[in-house]
Amino acid sequence: MGIEKSKGYQQVIKWLKLSRKKPFRFQTDAWQYYAEGYCGLVNAPTGFGKTFSLFLAVVIEELNSRAEKTSTASKKKKTDTGLKLIWITPLRALAKDLARAMREVCAELELDWQVSVRNGDTTAAEKLKQKKQMPEVLIITPESMHLLLAQKDTSAHFHHLQCIVADEWHELMGSKRGVMAELAISRIRGIVKEKHPERLLRIWGISATIGNMEQALEVLVPYSEVLKIIIKADIEKKIKIKSILPDHIDMLPWAGHLGHKLAHKLLPIIHKSKTTLIFTNTRGQAELWYQNLLALDENLAGQIAIHHGSIDYELRNWIEDALHSGILKAVISTSSLDLGVDFKPVDTVVQIGSPKGVARFLQRAGRSGHSPHETSVIYFLPTHALELVEAAAIKEAAKTQQIESRDPIVMAFDTLIQYLVTLAVGDGFDDQKIYREVKETHAFSELLPSEWGWIMQFISTGGDSLSAYTEFSKVLKKEGLWKVESRQIAMRHRLHIGTIVSDPMLKVKYLGGGYIGMVEESFISKMKPGNSFTLAGRVLEFIMVKEMTALVRRSKLKRAITPSWMGGRISLSANLGNILRKKYNETLDKNHEDEELDIILPLFERQAKVSHVPKSDEFLIELIHTKDGYHFFAYPFEGRQVHEVMAALIAYRLSRKTPISFSIAMNDYGFELLSEYPIPLDEENIKALFSPENLGEDIVGSINSTEMAKRKFRDIACISGLVFQGFPGKYTANKHLQSSAALFFNVFTDYDKHNLLLRQAYDEAFYQQIEEPRLLAALQRIQVSKIILIKAESYTPLCFPIKVDSLRENMSTEELGQRIERMTAEADQKTRPVHMKSRKKNDHHL
Amino acid sequence: MTIICKGEELILSKERAIYWAAQKMLIISDLHIGKSAHFRKHGIQVPSGIGEHDLQRLAGLIDLYDPQTLLITGDMFHHKNNSEVNVFSEWRKEFSKLKVLLIKGNHDKLSPVEYVSLNIELIQKELICTPFRFIHEQPGSTDASYTISGHIHPGVTLYGKARQRLNFPCFYFGENYAVLPAFSAFTGLSRIQPQKNDRFYAITPSGVIAV
Repeated sequence: MGIEKSKGYQQVIKWLKLSRKKPFRFQTDAWQYYAEGYCGLVNAPTGFGKTFSLFLAVVIEELNSRAEKTSTASKKKKTDTGLKLIWITPLRALAKDLARAMREVCAELELDWQVSVRNGDTTAAEKLKQKKQMPEVLIITPESMHLLLAQKDTSAHFHHLQCIVADEWHELMGSKRGVMAELAISRIRGIVKEKHPERLLRIWGISATIGNMEQALEVLVPYSEVLKIIIKADIEKKIKIKSILPDHIDMLPWAGHLGHKLAHKLLPIIHKSKTTLIFTNTRGQAELWYQNLLALDENLAGQIAIHHGSIDYELRNWIEDALHSGILKAVISTSSLDLGVDFKPVDTVVQIGSPKGVARFLQRAGRSGHSPHETSVIYFLPTHALELVEAAAIKEAAKTQQIESRDPIVMAFDTLIQYLVTLAVGDGFDDQKIYREVKETHAFSELLPSEWGWIMQFISTGGDSLSAYTEFSKVLKKEGLWKVESRQIAMRHRLHIGTIVSDPMLKVKYLGGGYIGMVEESFISKMKPGNSFTLAGRVLEFIMVKEMTALVRRSKLKRAITPSWMGGRISLSANLGNILRKKYNETLDKNHEDEELDIILPLFERQAKVSHVPKSDEFLIELIHTKDGYHFFAYPFEGRQVHEVMAALIAYRLSRKTPISFSIAMNDYGFELLSEYPIPLDEENIKALFSPENLGEDIVGSINSTEMAKRKFRDIACISGLVFQGFPGKYTANKHLQSSAALFFNVFTDYDKHNLLLRQAYDEAFYQQIEEPRLLAALQRIQVSKIILIKAESYTPLCFPIKVDSLRENMSTEELGQRIERMTAEADQKTRPVHMKSRKKNDHHL
Repeated sequence: MTIICKGEELILSKERAIYWAAQKMLIISDLHIGKSAHFRKHGIQVPSGIGEHDLQRLAGLIDLYDPQTLLITGDMFHHKNNSEVNVFSEWRKEFSKLKVLLIKGNHDKLSPVEYVSLNIELIQKELICTPFRFIHEQPGSTDASYTISGHIHPGVTLYGKARQRLNFPCFYFGENYAVLPAFSAFTGLSRIQPQKNDRFYAITPSGVIAV
């Protein structure tokens, strides 16, 4: 290989030797390929220096070029300074740490580079500084990249740009922020090509392992004329998964049952580790667990903290710093710490409840034992008995590396519209040039000229081809370029770039002053004055909402009634569902090595006795008649989202033959249809009922796809600039311009049927909400499975969690607890041995 | 749908209007002429046919009921003079014999001269027409008279099976006061807390139904 001989390389190796380090093979590979002008993707586990694989590549090149310059004795011009590397990162938590690490490297190598961060948290003063003199390395979010493009004279920034890196690319791809990144990269590349056609702009990505690495590279670097490579680190990260096992399990499991009972087993783990990261799936759970742990051990007060995206910036920073320096013992978190942040003191990670997917689980496991060669230890705490099987499944998936793919988003018209207006607000754009650039991106490679035409019309005339009363004014053509002339429109646009929120957030502030954090508007709207809730671990009493801020005071209560938070109902992935079905086989046959399955064996034996444990090639259906009515339970194991659609589909098909109405419930394992009357089902008609034929039409008939499309449209309306959320503390929309996404949805449906944003809403509903491809695959699998139809007289272990979840929505915790007790008692009685069959006097009607 | 309120027979039309035959009066609220033009001026892509369609519907109602008076309980115009106001001006000429009364709403900001030129009689606060008192915005307290107001753009949510929810504009007739739905299609909805003895009439595509 070539570059080992170069000065820059030598310097870096020497520096690494000082701390007794040697570069990994994949790092030197990356440096070599970079030097040869390749673009590519680095796939390495966290903690093994994936940042350095690319950062040092750029540094080495810089050192080499400086060495050359001194040897030819030309002076270093001031104009040689400027932006050389753009480092895109999805989360703000990452940026600080990255900047810190990079500055250390530069200092130690005596490289006089500036490294700055630019995102929503960057101050105005800092931004001004950057405008005057761009740092050599800019760590930035996709939104902030667009904000840069929304300024004037942006092309001046890229005169010295050598490389763009998209960090955590697996995280960006699959969301509209990834599309934003694709578009920004396409524009910057276009600018560089125009001003410096000889420059080789290298585009690289860093990604955790996902199922579709090749596609991930294509999405990031869609250009056919460049050299591309995927560099995979040949390092096996050792992960040890330990389940926290209950001492005894109840035969009838339900979600939430176990979790808090096992909390006391969590304490010794926290105490014996230096620092622990505890992950939960939802914000509400994070707050609940915080309260629980404090209740169990008061000494933890001051040593544990909560960390999730909606906590105020300063508080978040403090927590990150405290964790890094070891002051905090445990942090409870949702996804904000999910990604590659280097917290060395963390030696233990706990996952509460199933992470629902292998990729997510592995990434979280990577948070511990961060330095290379340390084994990552992750504890799994099940919140109900059946999750233990998920634990066993995840162990296997991790071992065999069966990891989910991230599907890239395509044809996001709302994001494209936002982008074009961004360019118009900045230096203006030439529509022919930009059309060519946009067509090159993966997201819009299939864009039709008619669709582009519609979008141009949308932003220039408001969608009308001819209208006598075009007062519409947004983007106009001036001197050959499309620009936004109105300062008001420009300001409004800049303020709302990057709004990818479905639920506007309100700031939470004490009445006397002092910010605590942020909370979803939908959450606060359920509150009445005097209600209490927890945020950032504090119990607060709600007073009122004023100007997009929720005012609160400290509550006298020790615990709050935490109404359930929206968001974060992740569904079981297809991967995991697959392995899960396999594990169900193994449990009863006892041919496994998982201790989780040993503990859960009695539950499976009960299921086998009163019903059946489905094998991978079987499809189980239970018809149960209880005092609640006639139940139909089916177990596809395809995740709650698919089950929601499947249940509606089956209900629709059944009701077409006989007029019968159902109420529906579901979880990740299966779904329930409940009717007052017997359900006409037998072995013959089941396969027909679950047939993949006519799926499209039947979905439209059974689901209120309009309602789903409306929900998707909320984001679309925001992103494309039709509707504005108030920005806490920053900007309250002109009250004469206030409206809602629902209003636009209705108005477009009635007056502008061919609106592309409307179409996008329906497409997103079908692909993301309804997951049609996955649903189809499931139905096809059912067709070739053996149908097992069981008729039972009482609730079975497998159906119980679905039943309980369905009651949860309408009952308080006490009512639910009592109801569960009664249901359990009834089921227990029915499975008792024969001689106890006589009815007892206090059998109640449920 | 015809109802009796305070002894008076009122026809509730699915085109979001009330016809009071005894007074030959067509009553609507919150027409918001110029709203879509206002949005469009600020770069928000509201389809331009809406304003025209609203006026067409109004013309249809006038043709159907042949009223002597058109009473608008506020928010006839959305903001300031714009192209939609000019369209209205032309439309107005077609119904020169019709008397148009407007109770000033929070959005009505044209100058007195402009109202005169549009042949609209502007009423500052209220119009009393026994047994009703017409105002724009319902005050917090209630009094002896039965007020009919607009302003809030009332809506009602109907729940169906399988967690379906649909929102519709509605007529609200409470014990002490009534609220008219917004006439314009380009308005949102806000919900009223139902009390005892309240009557809601939802406006669905197929007609007005009592809820």
